[in-house]
Amino acid sequence: MRKTPPPTFWRRLSQVLFLVLFLVLFVQTDYQGKDELSGAINLLFRIDPLIGLSVSLTARSFVVLIAPSMFLLLSCFLAGRWFCGWACPMGTLLDASNPLVGSRKDNIPRPISKIRHGLLVIIFVGALFGLPLVGYFDPFAILVRGLTMSIYPAFSMAVEQLFTLTYQHGPPWLNFATEPLYRILRDHILPFEQKIFTLALPAAIILLTVFLMELFQRRFFCRNICPLGALLGMAARLAPWRIRNRQPGCRACGGCSEICRTGAIDDLGRVSNERCILCLDCLQQCPNHHFDFGRAKRASAAASEGLSRRALIGTIAAGIAVPFLFAVRPLRRHPEARLLRPPGARPEGEFLGRCVRCGECMQVCIGNALHPTFAEAGVEGMFTPRLIPRIGYCEYQCTLCGQVCPTGAIERLPASKKQKVVIGRAFIDRNRCLPYAKGIPCIVCEEHCPTPQKAIRFRSEKIENEQGTVIEVKQPYVIDSLCIGCGICENKCPLPGKSAILVTSAGESRHTSFGLNESSYIDPEYH
Amino acid sequence: MDHNMDRRRFLRDAAAWSLSFSLILHWPFPFRIDHAEAVGRPTPPFQTRVGIGKGANYPQLVRRVIALIGGMEAFVRPGMRVVIKPNISFDRPPEMGATTHPMVVRTLAEMAVEAGADQVTIFDRTCNEARRCYHTSGILPAIEAMNSSTIRCEYIDGRKFVQVDIPEGRSLKNWTIYRDALEADCYINVPVAKQHGLAGLSLGLKNNMGVLGGNRGRLHRKLDQNLADLATIIRPTLTVIDATRMLLRNGPQGGRLEDVLINNTVIASADPLAADACATELFGQSPDQVGATVSAAAMNLGTLQMDRISRIEWP
Repeated sequence: MRKTPPPTFWRRLSQVLFLVLFLVLFVQTDYQGKDELSGAINLLFRIDPLIGLSVSLTARSFVVLIAPSMFLLLSCFLAGRWFCGWACPMGTLLDASNPLVGSRKDNIPRPISKIRHGLLVIIFVGALFGLPLVGYFDPFAILVRGLTMSIYPAFSMAVEQLFTLTYQHGPPWLNFATEPLYRILRDHILPFEQKIFTLALPAAIILLTVFLMELFQRRFFCRNICPLGALLGMAARLAPWRIRNRQPGCRACGGCSEICRTGAIDDLGRVSNERCILCLDCLQQCPNHHFDFGRAKRASAAASEGLSRRALIGTIAAGIAVPFLFAVRPLRRHPEARLLRPPGARPEGEFLGRCVRCGECMQVCIGNALHPTFAEAGVEGMFTPRLIPRIGYCEYQCTLCGQVCPTGAIERLPASKKQKVVIGRAFIDRNRCLPYAKGIPCIVCEEHCPTPQKAIRFRSEKIENEQGTVIEVKQPYVIDSLCIGCGICENKCPLPGKSAILVTSAGESRHTSFGLNESSYIDPEYH
Repeated sequence: MDHNMDRRRFLRDAAAWSLSFSLILHWPFPFRIDHAEAVGRPTPPFQTRVGIGKGANYPQLVRRVIALIGGMEAFVRPGMRVVIKPNISFDRPPEMGATTHPMVVRTLAEMAVEAGADQVTIFDRTCNEARRCYHTSGILPAIEAMNSSTIRCEYIDGRKFVQVDIPEGRSLKNWTIYRDALEADCYINVPVAKQHGLAGLSLGLKNNMGVLGGNRGRLHRKLDQNLADLATIIRPTLTVIDATRMLLRNGPQGGRLEDVLINNTVIASADPLAADACATELFGQSPDQVGATVSAAAMNLGTLQMDRISRIEWP
């Protein structure tokens, strides 16, 4: 007779399936041959109650987009932190990488494990008072950002280079084998175009740090830092279904306490449901089979953890005070002129509050136009999307970034509306533009301008060129009322180095005091 | 040393043999000093044939026009690898006239297969994002709907660009060009006829830019001469100009139906300049108004004089 699989088998199977689903959704977060996407990685963020609550606090109304997250929270009220053990892709990857990294079993000072509660409080208070922090600590944001900005592009680069080598220098018999393989990879796994990102390294370092923390402890991040885990843990305190030890203090061999990956079992074999992620290791490994999963009386819950009253009040006070320090910098009034936000982005304050820095818009952006901001929007704006036209331009008919944004920081707009959203306006630098500066024909910008009536037009002028001959050249100029700042002109300008036509955020329509009017020569003011 | 000598002798013998063979094949040596009638140039002393047809049924129209200039069999022989190069440069639907009509491309592909082509490849290096252009233009869906293993509509593979010298180039001396375009047995250029800010009109010569790698914007500095130089390397076996829709203003992208003239016309010729010249007339311009065509004619790359072009019209 075949043995029935151990309980951990089902947990592992679930982890693998959710991870595969996650990776499939991630790779799918790309143009799929139609204007509308079907299925993208934003699903993950929409079930995340940490993001759901903090974004709702920022918006001061319930954000419907993230309604599904309430179901996850509800399920934790019933069955504890099942999500952390059975589904979370970050947790699964940490479990998978643990054998590679290996954990020393150092004693971690107890206060460390309170970090997560502190973060949870400060994230919520900060969200309420205008300091958006959730994106820097939410596990999905860290993971998707790291994958989008560094791991996936680097993987693609490595594969492309390998197959370019075999294609260009390999013998035919080798290509006979490698080319079909390359075609499969290219069609199903690799991105369509190699992407590059401004903050590829920081995003990778943050993600790798989470993995390196496994050195200290198994699931170090989940136990001590993850604010989502802390939130689900608080719900789990009330959960009636949980892992029980039927005979606490049995022989006190301590084996269960040793093997528990989240430190949920104390020396007496009591289970803290706030920490337990239902991995079922104890069920399987207790020599006396003392553990089981079932309905428990609430009274048996171990002493709940959390911040002391003093720490709680201190954290809340800090959460209230710090946002005001951020508010007194000039960039709140005089934003960086070259900071272009994606089309449909909400007004800056609200945008920063809603954006969870997940990088999904950058993953889906088919022009590789969206990049993580460094400090141009303040340190609290790090990793928010900005459009850098010289690297990539906003495709006129494309609306994908608004479709994938999990929190509506970038509004979902139909193409006809998106094409009217001004994200900035182009200015010609006549000192560099060839027809002006050197009397050389060009007008590549005019050729590419996608607005149907051409926001870039040209006049024919007679001009003396460097050889001293008078020739007639076509000189481009921008019509402000038609320019939407897509940046294709700056992108395609054939000058080496800096473009001779530059897009600045002047006149962007999200700042309604300016709207679509003509006064684009004055700095837009934040309201 | 012996080993080395062997290889050297082999190379020398091979060179000698192939030289003598090619000399025999070229007998009697038709080398002439007169460039106007140089060998291999599509300017025979007789009239150049250009087929021009009009009709709203595009598959039928394309078939008729190709028949006017000898049928597809005159260009595609069994076993050939055929490249069809439409204009897919922008993310616009076919009715905007910025890209070649999918039915024109599809019919040509069908005809090439009927004439015995082993493989038909369709591609263009787009200006907007490639997948959007391929889909929105309707060309990729039209080809995929044929579900043929012989006809493939492919995205550009960046590994296939090769550095090519342009010995006859007056301005352009070398550039990277897509390998499939250079290696095709039969290259069918299928531009869409449209207005273009710098070039005046975008026709066959301009459409050649779609097989170029690198920073193509740089070519705009001497666009006319560069396009002519390019035409010394990229020599279409057949040029089919899609003027079913003509983008008259705000080209080469357009985006407004007001700027599009539905003209239901297709032009075909083995002579790229003659085809461009006839298409120019559709816009009410004379062929010598398009700089690139004039520059190419100055290099004897085809016929521009209307009195040497015999227009065969249908219906």
